[in-house]
Amino acid sequence: MSAVAAQRSLIGASLPRKEDDRLLRGDGCFTDDVQSAHQLEMAVGRCPFPHAEIRGLDVSPALALAGVEHILTGADVRALSAPLTVLRPVPGAPELPYYALAGERAIHEGQPVVSVVATSRALAEDALELIDIDYEPLPHVTDTLQALAEDAPVLHPGVLDSNLLARHEDRAGVPEERMAEADIVVGERFRINRVTAMAMEGRGVVARWRPGARQLSVYASTQTPHLLRHQLAESLRLDEGCIRVAASDVGGGFGQKLGIYPEDLLAALHAMALGRPVKWIEDRLEYFRASTHAREAVFDFAIGARTDGEISAITNRYTTDLGAWNSSFGSAQLSSVVFTGPYKLADAVAERRVAVTNKTPIGAYRGYGQPEVNFAREVLIDRLARRLGLDALEFRERNMLRPEDLPWKTPSGAVYDSGDYVKTLRMAGEAVGYAAHRAAPRRADGDGRLKGIGFASFVERTGYASARFLANRGSIFGAHESVTLRANRSGDIDLYTGVSTFGQGSETAFAQICAEILAVDYESIHVHAGDTASSPLNTGAFASRTLIAAAGAIREAADELRGKALRIAAWVLETAPEALEVSGQVVRLRDDHSRSLALSDIFTRAIIGQGIPPEETPGLEASAHYAPDEAAFSFGTAAAVVAADPESGEFSVDRLVMVHDCGTAVNPLLVEGQVLGGLVQGLGAALSEDLIYDPDTGQLVSGSMLDYFMPTAADVPPIELLHSEIPSPVTSFGERGVGEVGTIPPAAALANALCDALSEFGVELSRLPLTPESVWRALKNAKGANP
Amino acid sequence: MKAADFIYHRATGVAEALRYMEDYDGEARLLAGGQSLMPMLNMRLWRPAALIDINALSELAEVTAQGEETHLGALVRHATLETSPLIAARLPLLATMVRFIGDHQIRRRGTIGGSLVQGDPASEMPLGCLVLGAEINAVGPAGARMIAIEDFYDGAYATALEADELLTEIRFAVHPPHFAFHELCRRHNDFAVLSVAATGHFSADGGWHGLRIGLGGVNDRPVLAEASMALLEGSSLSDADIAAAGEAALGAIDPPSDIRGSAEYRAHLVPRYIAKALRDLRLSAQG
Repeated sequence: MSAVAAQRSLIGASLPRKEDDRLLRGDGCFTDDVQSAHQLEMAVGRCPFPHAEIRGLDVSPALALAGVEHILTGADVRALSAPLTVLRPVPGAPELPYYALAGERAIHEGQPVVSVVATSRALAEDALELIDIDYEPLPHVTDTLQALAEDAPVLHPGVLDSNLLARHEDRAGVPEERMAEADIVVGERFRINRVTAMAMEGRGVVARWRPGARQLSVYASTQTPHLLRHQLAESLRLDEGCIRVAASDVGGGFGQKLGIYPEDLLAALHAMALGRPVKWIEDRLEYFRASTHAREAVFDFAIGARTDGEISAITNRYTTDLGAWNSSFGSAQLSSVVFTGPYKLADAVAERRVAVTNKTPIGAYRGYGQPEVNFAREVLIDRLARRLGLDALEFRERNMLRPEDLPWKTPSGAVYDSGDYVKTLRMAGEAVGYAAHRAAPRRADGDGRLKGIGFASFVERTGYASARFLANRGSIFGAHESVTLRANRSGDIDLYTGVSTFGQGSETAFAQICAEILAVDYESIHVHAGDTASSPLNTGAFASRTLIAAAGAIREAADELRGKALRIAAWVLETAPEALEVSGQVVRLRDDHSRSLALSDIFTRAIIGQGIPPEETPGLEASAHYAPDEAAFSFGTAAAVVAADPESGEFSVDRLVMVHDCGTAVNPLLVEGQVLGGLVQGLGAALSEDLIYDPDTGQLVSGSMLDYFMPTAADVPPIELLHSEIPSPVTSFGERGVGEVGTIPPAAALANALCDALSEFGVELSRLPLTPESVWRALKNAKGANP
Repeated sequence: MKAADFIYHRATGVAEALRYMEDYDGEARLLAGGQSLMPMLNMRLWRPAALIDINALSELAEVTAQGEETHLGALVRHATLETSPLIAARLPLLATMVRFIGDHQIRRRGTIGGSLVQGDPASEMPLGCLVLGAEINAVGPAGARMIAIEDFYDGAYATALEADELLTEIRFAVHPPHFAFHELCRRHNDFAVLSVAATGHFSADGGWHGLRIGLGGVNDRPVLAEASMALLEGSSLSDADIAAAGEAALGAIDPPSDIRGSAEYRAHLVPRYIAKALRDLRLSAQG
């Protein structure tokens, strides 16, 4: 390790991505690229109502259609499989039964009700039209808070008495007393919009069953092949050994592709009934109702402070919308973990309520509660500063934890490992010329627009504290990652990982670390990702934890493999392993480079067991599992510069600056890609994206690309990234997670910039998205309140 | 979603296309650029008896100068309007507005005839044609007829065309020397929340004449702000004139409330967007 740490040549290098060559040539292999002989296609009939009794269903006309091979109904699914299972249940909450197809009652628009397999997708859709389903619409509830009202229809009457799935509190100190003593308290109700991740590749699955071999092969667009295999085994009541799950290229994950979905199970059931491969590819209209939504929540957030500007208490009482069912990851849980942000205070409480509504189930999405609570807290921080007559930047700085305060146990019980929060705040302020902006007189530009600057600081949890922590929360996965390294006779290394490739660049980062430790060429590492048949059991890629955990596993496995290779080489060269070094594709004496042995020679000896020391066993491969001891906490500050029209509410985002620290950057190019991608998703959620349900009909009204305002490339404002790089003491190479960070601060930074621009009107913003019309309404309200 | 089965015909001439339309008793649909038609087919919201593909009708794809007039065939692609030097010189308002339609891929396929027949109240080509006072040539079993653009729309997505008529050409008189266009979108080149196009002549006496102001997205069809136009006749487009014209336009609108914006917000923006366009005109005359 010490020798490795000293080199550091590949770790920190912006190597080109291993994935790019095939992707840019159009040679990726996504789910729909999997073509099998005799393949059939599946289409799913979905409930058009938010809540309905299914009184009857006649599939006979559809079955009579030539080319239709098989149909499954809710009754079939109940006979053939168990309900879908959950990976990350809500602590303390009962299980909500949810089968792959609705039975006597459907509880959200888009819930699968019937499934047809035919010789083509078009034919399967023709067949769906022939199936007469007798729905009796029932009273529904789509509003998060109304779902908890006494007169709301209870959606899971067998399990719950109301739509409150769970209530949980994390607290430290005496926040209510501190709040009562505070000189000033600001509080607000914040509404966070419901959004969706919008991966370029929707979900998809190809299932094949070989009855003679009792072997189910499932190709799926998933972030968690091994967990999906486990969940399929549970619902199909099959031994895990009968199931192989493979994800080759995955066109985007973002947390949405964690664990099992109904269609995975349906494709498997059809394939097992028919003995023919069955493919289902989600189309974009289905996607809007069939893949999990995210974020929707209502926060009642309050901050108390003394007149001198010291924050004394935070109360964070919020309700997250679960949708109709607890999906594999359910609604976000981190709004209770990082809700005090980078600020130093001892007295705080987070109360989380989970409400069930007649909407598409909520699932994990990049940030998982952190963007939501960041919006509430950072907008109120600015408002509090304004009320106190303090500068927003100075007010933050005054209350921030200092490097010497860390490690710091927050009121939620999380332990921030290390960092310099004030540094990122100052960097952001300097980057946008904040001091000059503060000093300059307020003057509209030629278009009548006023300039505003806003900040948002954050601390982000990346990775999991431990398997013990996860066990306490009822999660059925661990905190570790694993890798198998296998030498081959070409002198290269095959690296096997259960982490599928969905754009995060893990193939590249894993190869970099592996090549670094083995001191071999980066090109000689062949990464084989996402196949349960070849990879060691692992957790999966989510929670910004892949690299944090995998780096340790790669290090251990590579050390083991390297040790054995050097022992064999030393035996052949009649020297001691310590006298040897690996350089490129050879092992040589440190002192005499002319005495060397090709890696292909050493690896061949080991693999065939010929010409190796008598005490060594044949073979040259190593597997390792590694879990970090603690979560690592990334941090930073974003700044937004806007120009806003005080008459119309229209505004432009002129600059977005992100200062962030993800510790040691294994590959700065990947870091930049991750942060930029997250920022753009954060901007979309902040400014335009909104899944709106009509309260009267319970229908999703923005359920297509026509009405869901995902930004295009042309909508992205100029973005500047600034890096701080303070190594984390709790991870193998000092790295912190980076996958989700970009989603966290944009909304608050933009809202604060708008409030700054329109400060003379007293504008306050508290709901997302921030649209020209919503700013105009806030202006009208403010002008009404302060004429 | 996959389209339900449909019958497909590729017409090789206008007469053949008309014959097919007659064969299907007006229940067939014409396929030009397909940018609105294909999604509707795939979502199974439209089930025409047949599709009649007119893309092979090269006689409908021409841009021609006929004396002072400019004629655009119904199949002229948006991308042609965007790049043609003839259009830039003779119909600069259309050349400007066409860049606000969708993305490159859509503009490569989409046609001006298709856009006019689709009749989305917020789309650019109907508004541009209205402000330029275009005339539309339609051919049916009984022969050809000319329809003034002011008479072309019966409402949202509804035109004066008979079910067996084919739009073949759009004719434009000489283009006014000054023009301006503004629109507000929820994202780049999305359907407009509202749009304003204006043209006019500035004479040596310092006054504006023949001003035309059209509004998109604020009624069931693109509309002319006729009261504003009358008010501004002969004016110098002073700030006060512009403000009065903006207010006067409110009589011409009946804006929808939809996911892109409320009626109230659209109404609030109309005078502001008219002012933007008129200030641009003023500037254009100065330059």
